[in-house]
Amino acid sequence: MGYCMKFIKGGAMEIGRELSELDAFAIDFIKTLRKHTKYAIVSGYVSILLGRARSSEDIDIIIPRAGFPEFVLLFRELYKKGFYCLNSDNEKEAYGYVRDGIAVRFAKKGKVIPNIELKFSKNRIDEISLKDTLKVRLGKEELVISGLEMQVAFKENVLKSPKDIEDAMHIRNVTGNNLSRELIEKYSVMLRGFYRR
Amino acid sequence: MGFTEDNQKERMKFIGLWAKYVREHSDRDWSRQQNVIINSSIRSSTITREEYLKLKNNGFKHHR
Repeated sequence: MGYCMKFIKGGAMEIGRELSELDAFAIDFIKTLRKHTKYAIVSGYVSILLGRARSSEDIDIIIPRAGFPEFVLLFRELYKKGFYCLNSDNEKEAYGYVRDGIAVRFAKKGKVIPNIELKFSKNRIDEISLKDTLKVRLGKEELVISGLEMQVAFKENVLKSPKDIEDAMHIRNVTGNNLSRELIEKYSVMLRGFYRR
Repeated sequence: MGFTEDNQKERMKFIGLWAKYVREHSDRDWSRQQNVIINSSIRSSTITREEYLKLKNNGFKHHR
């Protein structure tokens, strides 16, 4: 026996899923990340969390832009907790990448997959993803994901690969009336205008 | 209809059927099945750091 995923008041949902190795990895990373900054998980892992029948080798996370001193504190704590940066073990170089808009990846030492793809917010679409969030409770654990309406709109209007269209369709199908169709349309119009530039 | 269109139609049909299964069964039930795909995919990976970043076209500088 068990329960089915449900939306609860206050921008949250509960999923009684058995944790996968990808979930355990995400939770482990977030325990450190959330001590240092706001964050939002976006893209493929969001649909996987909601049951999409596929895997992913990485988890995309957006954080607000940070200065080097703040980034170093996060970087060093991640290393203490057994993570390493795939792009560079040098904190200045790693910061240079992320500052210049290149995502940096973190995995557990000795492993490459799974990994976290961490990037700074770079435009107002990312800002919306950071502001309009949904807390996902997994038993005693909690992850913050970008709002599902933005995820669906982004996949359908910007990414548009077959995999992304399928992810969006899955999110629409499993969440039903809990998604705001008006908000998806509003974001879709905004995204089409933004990425036409 | 060509192979690609047939394949895409089949995939979309499966997406719908699986979502229905997720809605109608407990989270523990569907996640156990989903985790077979996820965990086996993670465990079977043998790619190196350099190969992976090249594949992803990501920056890489290794300092010891």
